[in-house]
This record gives sequence, structure tokens and C-alpha cells, in this order.
Amino acid sequence: MSGGGPPTSFAFQKTHNAMKRLRLLFLSPATAVMALLFFAPLAIVFAYSLLTRGPYGGVMRPWTMESYGRVFDPLYGEILWRSVWVAAVSTLLCLMLGFPLALYIARSAGRKTLLLNAVMLPFWTSFLIRTYAWMFLLRDTGLINTALERLHLIRAPLPLLFNTGAVTLGLVYGYLPFMVLPLYATLEKLDPALLDAAEDLGASPWIALWRVAVPLSKPGMIAGCLLVFIPCLGAYLTPDLMGGGKTVMVGNLIQNQFTTARDWPFGAAASLLLMAIVLIVTRSLGRKGEELI
Amino acid sequence: MNRRLFLMGVAGATLGCTSGRGRRLNVYNWENYVAGATIPDFEREFKARVRYATYGSAEEMLAKAMSGNSGWDVVFPSNSFVQPMQALGLLLPLDHKRLTNLGNLETRFQSPEWDPALQWCVPYMHSATGILYSKQVSRPPLAWADLWTDSYSRRVTMLDDPAEVFAACLKRLGCSINSGNERELKSARDLAIRQKPLLRAYLNEEVRDQVVAGDVLVAQMWAQVAQVAMDNAPNLAFSFPSEGFALYADNASILRESKHQDLAYEFVNYLLRPKVAAAIAIEMRTATANAAARSLLPEIQRHNTVLYPAHDVLRRGEWFRALPGPVQRIRDRYWTEIKSA
Amino acid sequence: MKRFLPVYAAAAYLFLYLPLVVLGVFSFNSSKVAMWHGFSWQWYAGVFHNTGLLEAARNSLIVAVTATAVSTVIGTLAGYALWNKRAPVLTNSLCLSLLTPEIVTGVSLLAFFEWIFRFLHMQLGLHTVILAHISFCLAYVVIVILARLRTFDPSLEEAALDLGANEWQTFRRVTVPMLLPGILAAALLCFTVSFDDYVITSLVAGVNSETLPMVIYAMARKGVSPEVNALSVMVTVGLGVFILIAGRLEQAQAAREQRS
Repeated sequence: MSGGGPPTSFAFQKTHNAMKRLRLLFLSPATAVMALLFFAPLAIVFAYSLLTRGPYGGVMRPWTMESYGRVFDPLYGEILWRSVWVAAVSTLLCLMLGFPLALYIARSAGRKTLLLNAVMLPFWTSFLIRTYAWMFLLRDTGLINTALERLHLIRAPLPLLFNTGAVTLGLVYGYLPFMVLPLYATLEKLDPALLDAAEDLGASPWIALWRVAVPLSKPGMIAGCLLVFIPCLGAYLTPDLMGGGKTVMVGNLIQNQFTTARDWPFGAAASLLLMAIVLIVTRSLGRKGEELI
Repeated sequence: MNRRLFLMGVAGATLGCTSGRGRRLNVYNWENYVAGATIPDFEREFKARVRYATYGSAEEMLAKAMSGNSGWDVVFPSNSFVQPMQALGLLLPLDHKRLTNLGNLETRFQSPEWDPALQWCVPYMHSATGILYSKQVSRPPLAWADLWTDSYSRRVTMLDDPAEVFAACLKRLGCSINSGNERELKSARDLAIRQKPLLRAYLNEEVRDQVVAGDVLVAQMWAQVAQVAMDNAPNLAFSFPSEGFALYADNASILRESKHQDLAYEFVNYLLRPKVAAAIAIEMRTATANAAARSLLPEIQRHNTVLYPAHDVLRRGEWFRALPGPVQRIRDRYWTEIKSA
Repeated sequence: MKRFLPVYAAAAYLFLYLPLVVLGVFSFNSSKVAMWHGFSWQWYAGVFHNTGLLEAARNSLIVAVTATAVSTVIGTLAGYALWNKRAPVLTNSLCLSLLTPEIVTGVSLLAFFEWIFRFLHMQLGLHTVILAHISFCLAYVVIVILARLRTFDPSLEEAALDLGANEWQTFRRVTVPMLLPGILAAALLCFTVSFDDYVITSLVAGVNSETLPMVIYAMARKGVSPEVNALSVMVTVGLGVFILIAGRLEQAQAAREQRS
């Protein structure tokens, strides 16, 4: 693909080094932000995880590894497994539902930004009240059940709320834009002429899509899956409201530690372990040259 | 980029802010605890500007106050938070000479069990946890035990609050809601797990709309929220369970870090005025701890049995208490097990 | 497929806007509870009288626009640099920042600010909110930019360099224009994440820096609140108007480019 041979001139070497310097310069603001606003707070969280719960919340000495020990418990393992499962299903659904939409936007000449903004617009209103709106739609006396009953399609209301299905719906709804945006960023580069050419050569539109668009948008798909799966894993509002608080997911567990239970050391230890596990898994999944970051 | 410039231009245009001079006070309270005119009237009379913000859980407020530099002057901890906050050194010891209206409080709030000398807080509003239900049910839930029967076709909800769920279970077992006994807590946990298949959900105030609409027939609910629901739907009723129930009260306190102590005292004293407290109680449908205010309420509100339960009902109630760390940890563990079951 | 995509897109947009339609309908409901009672403008009037709400909306806009601008710039530069240069510490920390549960980020940033403020004699305020938002938005930007860059052919840059351009010119004239759709997507994502953030903001906000999500959560906690619905409809309509105007500008620009 790109330049294979050795540098052939002094001028080339000079610009090559200049590019390296430029890249180093470009990295410095981000490094500064991360160092100050991420590493330092993370160090504080790490310190919290090694301390003990204060009598009324907060942290105090003695230093101990006890919180980490408490995390290794089948109860929490079950919670993690359930969360991973729900997050994975939601991510897959987001991918399947988001891809055609991103493709449509990428192919609409002259209206791309408008359509893209139109996708984001609902998400500039509070997620909480949109969730309430879904609860209103899905509950037994809600719009959907009432409509289905009036049309005589069902006789008793369907249990559309307060179960894992509702949680999945809520998650897919809440994170669809996070899938559409990266997909759009990659699909936008897709030249429609390529797809037309494939069709001219006799391929059905679906095969053309599969063979041309999907490989091109692979970085976008991976980025989108990452941006959806991770927050889904840590979601707490959706399982509480759409799921009726009947299932504990990882997000609820950790949220609970810092609010009602006021057990910061345990919450910190659980979060750090979770972050470490997910980091290791996602890094090991990306083969060389296909890393997401 | 056109869009970016657009938005920045608008943001810049609205940046003209008005910063008032004069005295300032920062008040951090629960939602729906002041009437529309309470703050503006105070600002006018005392020539001050009040920054009034609300929180939804005492832990939120505690997290901010614990920093010692939050900027808030007056906060409203629940009764079970007063002693912890005082132990953490967050509260200002109150000088009663500056709270001339203190005598307006009801007798039982003049020396409550969480602060007998009223050294750290001034009781403000109070409520209890009971059962909100639709009158159409065949068997009115008058006891916690009724919530374990299958008479409501799974249209029952409990509060999404470990303290409240444990309180209901413990009362059903005949124990104290503040029990730290591991055996009792374990039985309570088992009870809750047994109840879970009969529940529709664990929801807090959000369930109010569903009860009004009829989706949910029976809900464990705070009396104040239940009252608002009943105002909007006459087919609802409220019961204080026969085995006993939990009581709580929100109190006004001044943070030790406060830089506007004079104004803070004046504000707390202002809230203790009968007319002010009565206006809040009437408009927001809350139960005030102020006896003088209560006598100003219209007849029908004064004797509202949901907000102001009769004496023999109140005897079955028990105040929430702050729990020691190890007990909290057991409860939290059991709560996770209940939710995971 | 040419017919399928628009139909599917319409259905997808319907799915996205369905809750908003519900909110819109109930913002005209004259009763406070979620059952239709009658038509009324009262909640809209209430919003305009609610100075706290308007101030919170202003704060949210300031924070979101600033954090988006800064994050997008820093993130684009970083993404570009990471395209060809390995920096494992930075990439892992960006990944980690994405993985951190919101409440952990919030609590840790609060503790960090409190610790620093002991030396600087400052307090929490809008500035801490903006800093917090930049810290968690950065990862989003970098991921989207890198995804876009991965579809690029690096030989275009090499060609420019060979033709005598220096590194700045190459970046500005060759790479950035090709990156623009990715930058736009990243900025949009950033703005969305920042505008509706509640957990982190509520922890690091100062006394005078209430944002819209904080006020809305307070008002809406007890269930559907009609004033909040009215406000949401107004925000949606307001921003929708912006989008339409910006869309027209874009179409005019595209038409101009086509003609030239």
C-alpha cells in the first residue's frame, strides 16, 4: 500500500523527520489533558480501593486489600456475566439497525449533515425523560398496548416493560447514535460508483453491499461496537427504569456503591477490576493493524 | 465551519449575565419543599439573593458537603443523616437565640430522638412509608403481609430503596427497622427474595403515574407522594400497615463551612414562621413539623390522616436511624442478592 | 435496495423521534399527570418564567460548546498523530477513560479538584464542569477520527510531501479536508455526550453552575413533569431550527461548489 522503499533523498528524510516532530507536537495537548484529568483522578480511585470504608461513607485508613478480595465472589461474577450478555445483544442490534441508516445518510448527497444532525437531535433532550416516555408507551395501559387492543390484535396487554427485553430496547435506543456516527464517518468515503459498478457487473445489490461496503466500514463498525458496548456495560438508569430495578447489572452495582451503600473502597475496587478485564479483552481482540485505537 | 460559528455566536450573546450585588445565600434542598412565593418573598424582605438548588437523595448532598468546600449554606438532611453529618464535623451548632421561631414546632419535634437538644438541626417536614393502593382491589392491603399474597395479579411494586424494603420485611417479622442482627437480616432477605416473583418492579416516585393509570394496583410508597397521587385520582387510598412502618423527617441545618451564617439563620427562622410554613404545606401537599403552621391550614388539610396520622397510628411508626458500617455492609450485600435473584 | 434504504431510514427516524412525539403531545396536556386532560399552553409559559431553567440551559450550552470545541481540536490532532505513531500509554488511557463508569469518573474528578483547590483557593464552578467534560469527551473524538483515518490511503500524504509541501501544509491542505466528515461526526458525538451528561456534571458542578440535565432530573424525578416536556420540546424545536438553517447553508455551499 504505502511507500515500501528506503528513503531516496536527503529532502525526503528531512520531511519524514519533520512529520515525526509534527506528530509528537500533536500528541502533547492530549497527553497533558489525560495526565492531569484522567491519570491523577485514576490514582485517587486506586488509593480509594485500598482504603477502608469510613463510618458514614467516604474513606479512611487502614490500607487494606480487603475490597479486592470481596469482589471475587460468584454473585458478582453472575452480575458481570449477565451484563456482558445484555450489552453484547444490544450492541449487535445497534449494529444491525444502525448500518442501513448510516449507509443511507452517507449516500444522500447534499443533505448529509442535515440527516446526521437529525439523528442526534432527539439525543439533545434529557435521556431520563425520553426513558419515561418509553415507559409510558410500553406499559400495560400505554399507547402500544392500547393500540394493539383496539385493533383486536391482542386480548390482554403484552408485558412490554420491566423485563430484560425492555432493557435491551432502552439500551439500543439510547446508544444507536453512537453506532451511526462512526459508521457514517467510514461509509461516507464509500464511492457510490463502486456499488454501481458491482451491480453493473451482475452482483445483486445485497451482495454488492456485503462485499464492498462492509469491509470498507470495518473500522467504523469496530469503533461503533466499542462505543456502544462499553457504555451499555456500565448503564444503570435503563436497567433501573426500563427493567423495573429487578435485575442488577454491573452499572447498578457500582452506582449503588457510591450512592446508597456509600462503600467507596468496594466500588473503586470493583470498577478498577472491571476496567482492567474489559481493557485486556478488547486489546487482545484487536489483531495487529486492526486495533481500534 | 458554519455551524460551529453559529452556535458559538449564540452562546456568546447569551453570556451577558446579571450578577446581583448584596447578600447571597445558597440553599440546597429536596425538590418540592418550597412554595412558589417562599424564596422570592424572602429575597424581597431580607434584600438578598438566594441560589436554590435541589437534590434527589441525601447521599448526593452528603457527597458535596463532605468536601468541606461545597459552597452551600443551608442543607436539609433526613433524620438518619443528622448524626453522621455531625460526627463528620459538617454541621454548625445552632444558637437558639437566633432562631426565635423555634417554639412553633410540634412538641414531638422539639426534642426528636436524632437531636434531643435541637443542637444541629431544625425539623422541617415529615412523612412515613405505607401502602398506596387502588380502591378497586378485592382485598385492601392493610398489612405488609398482604404484599406477599397473590391477590393483586402481580401488579405490586416496592420502593427501590434497601432501607425501605428491609423495613417492610423486618416489620413483617416483628423486628425493628434498624435491626443489625445478622439472623434477622437474613430472614428479611429471604422474605424479600420470596416476594420478588410477585412484584412488577422496584420503583420509587416514578410509579406514581402508573398507579394513577391503573397499571399498578398496590405500591409501597411515601405518604407525601401518595397524597399527590390521591389528589389526582380519587379511587386511590393509603394505609399505614398494621405491623408497623418507617417514619422519616427532613431537617434544616447550617453547614459549618457556610460563609453567610447570618443570612442562613434568618432563612431557617423565616421557614419557621407559621404563615410561610403553612403556605408551603398547602401548595406542595407536604406535612409540616410546625404546629403553629398546621393550625393555619384549612380544616380538611389539617386533619388529613395520610399526612398527619392519628396518634395511635403514629405509635406503630419507627424512626430511621443511622446504621454502623458493618451493619450497612451486610444489608448492602443482601440487597445485591435480592436484586440479583 | 435503492427503494429499501429510504423506507428503512424513515422507520429508523420514527423510532428515534417516537418518545419526543409523546413528550410533545403531553407538553400541551393541561393536567400534571400522564393522562390527557385538555389542551393548554400553561407549561410553556411556566418555562419562560422559570429563570433557573433558562440559566441552566445557558450553562449547558456554554459547557457543551466549549468542551466540544476543545475536545475536537485536541482529539483530531491526537488521532492524526496516533494514526502512524504508536503511543501505547496514551491509547490505553483513552480506552480506560471510556471504560470508567461515570460515577467513578465523577467521584474521582471531584476528589482531584478538591485536593487541588486547597492550594489554589478556588471553588467548583462552570470551569470544573468544562474540564471534566473535556476529559471524558476526548476518547470519543479520537476513536471516531481514527476510524475515519483508517479508511485513508497514506500515499496521498507522501505524494504531497514529495511534491515539496512541508508537514504543516500537508496536514492543512490534504489531510484535514478529507477528515472533515469525521471531524463533524466526532464534534456531534461530543456535543451530545456533553449536553446530556448528568452524573459527572452533578458531582463537579459548583453552586452557580447548574446545567440543564441537573435541573431536569430534579424536576422529573417524580415522574413525567409537563414543564420539563415543554422545555424539551422548545430545546428540540430551537436546535432543530439551527440544524435546518445550517443544512440550507450546506446545500447552498454544495451547489456553489458544483457550479464552479
